[in-house]
Amino acid sequence: MTEKEIKNKRREFLKNIGRLIGYGTLGGLFAGFGRSLWPNILYEPPKRVRLIDPKNLAEGMNYFPEQRLFVFKRGGEVWAISAVCQHLGCTVNFVPFGEKIEKKILGKVIEEEWEFHCPCHGSKYTQEGDIYEGPAPRGLPHYPLEIDPATGYLVVDMSKEVKKDWRLKLS
Amino acid sequence: MKERLYQVWRALIWTFDPADRGEAGKAVTRNFWLHWFPPRMTKESLSWGYSLWLGTISAVLFFILVITGIILMFLYVPSVERAYQSIKDLEYAVSFGWFLRNMHRWSAHMMVAAVFLHMLRVFYTGAYKNGMSHMAKRQINWVVGMILLGVTLLLSFSGYLLPWDQLALWAVTVGTQIARSVPFIGDEIYYVLAGGTRLDQNALIRFYTLHVIFLPALLLVLFSYHMWRIRKDEGLAITEQFSIARKKGEAVQPEMVFSTPWAVRRIVLVSLGTLVWVMFLSVFLKSPLEEPASLEWTPNPAKAPWYFLWLQELVAITTIRIGGFTLNGGFVGGVLIPAILGGAATIWAFIDKSPAEATGVWFHKSRLVQNLVFTFFVLIIVGMTIFAMYFRGPYWGIYWPWAWPELPEII
Repeated sequence: MTEKEIKNKRREFLKNIGRLIGYGTLGGLFAGFGRSLWPNILYEPPKRVRLIDPKNLAEGMNYFPEQRLFVFKRGGEVWAISAVCQHLGCTVNFVPFGEKIEKKILGKVIEEEWEFHCPCHGSKYTQEGDIYEGPAPRGLPHYPLEIDPATGYLVVDMSKEVKKDWRLKLS
Repeated sequence: MKERLYQVWRALIWTFDPADRGEAGKAVTRNFWLHWFPPRMTKESLSWGYSLWLGTISAVLFFILVITGIILMFLYVPSVERAYQSIKDLEYAVSFGWFLRNMHRWSAHMMVAAVFLHMLRVFYTGAYKNGMSHMAKRQINWVVGMILLGVTLLLSFSGYLLPWDQLALWAVTVGTQIARSVPFIGDEIYYVLAGGTRLDQNALIRFYTLHVIFLPALLLVLFSYHMWRIRKDEGLAITEQFSIARKKGEAVQPEMVFSTPWAVRRIVLVSLGTLVWVMFLSVFLKSPLEEPASLEWTPNPAKAPWYFLWLQELVAITTIRIGGFTLNGGFVGGVLIPAILGGAATIWAFIDKSPAEATGVWFHKSRLVQNLVFTFFVLIIVGMTIFAMYFRGPYWGIYWPWAWPELPEII
């Protein structure tokens, strides 16, 4: 290698270091700017919420608009079904039939008193929140309920789901 | 003194009525607003029937939007507590507030339409082709144009949220949930778009900033590049017809006219026409404002703005279920299909190998097949829009527009 070639090589090497520092700085800077847009703290309502004194629950459907949650009471048992459509997040409507009806859904005959229908894209859910028509990829989630020992109030935890036959017995 | 003032005026503004050829040429090169035009252009480039002036109309609408938008920024508060009230004030308390809002809204709707029609025009005239030119790279401008169409849609969409009424909230709920339905990265996209896990103040301020700074700035940069490229590409595609005719041995001489007053006159005409039309609509057609935004209940049916109705129709019918595997229609119809359609249209400019003669002419017979295929997709989109607009009723069911079912009061 001639002296000139060595010089050229050194020059190329230094150039690359310069590029690395330049692009690295800019890249790091903008990565930092971008990162600032990912919130570290959310001032959102909690997932675990105190709802109501179970004594005041109506028999049948109770809607909690702030939580977008249906709480059902039947014969001393309560359970909670989300009102958030699993397709694209609209609030589903509670559609009562007024009486128990037999309906053939997905080849099976089931008894129902109500259903959930979504106004946005027409997803339809059974009484238990199972999807049977429309675009929603899954059924409505059921959330666990508990009684707050201090106040005796009903508490819902929307951070975890339970199976659809889950029930809380009120004493 | 008067003479001196006139000279200053002359120096600042172009002459509309040049005294000689020299002055006509200088008027263009020396004027900041005109220097992106060539001093002279072919008369055919200015034809009404070739370009339909849809690009100019889009640009004029954009400038109306910027001006009305800046005034609206003084009057609107991007806060969930006050946004709705400030729109109500615009409608009922601010002098001419209703007119500003209507103008902004109608210009926005018309801009979506104008940009889309501009895209159709460019396709049907083969205007992304280079013809005989060795310099032109018109495909690049087609790609830039497709991005501009996307930015226009994003601008409309981000503006939709701002009134914070039911219409706004549910349109944007669905829009952001479509982003969330992307596999793997959907939740992160939603998180940074909404600034959290639900639509609230963070989402409003983010959409506001996108709407008033980020997207307009992006659009302005791309638009400037779009205009600059027309000159780098040696003018509108229609001028290629002269080179083609000359190559065939025909003795055609394009009629060259000075940009001022020829182009300027038509631009002013188109601008005024567009402005008058927007004002006309704004005087007679009110902008809707629904009830304040509330996640507690969804209007039935909750319909997207007309330019997104075909997507709403798509997301409602494209959920894929294979055995236990389910792919949300939000992703298939809201992301995948539009991305494939948009992507295919964008790269088509590079794939189209029709002969040079098809450059800059409406419906050239050598492009018959591709024009038909393109029309087929356009008609599907238009058809789905009309279907969703008039034949979708409560719970997104299919009804005749005059036969919507009575719905029981929802508790």
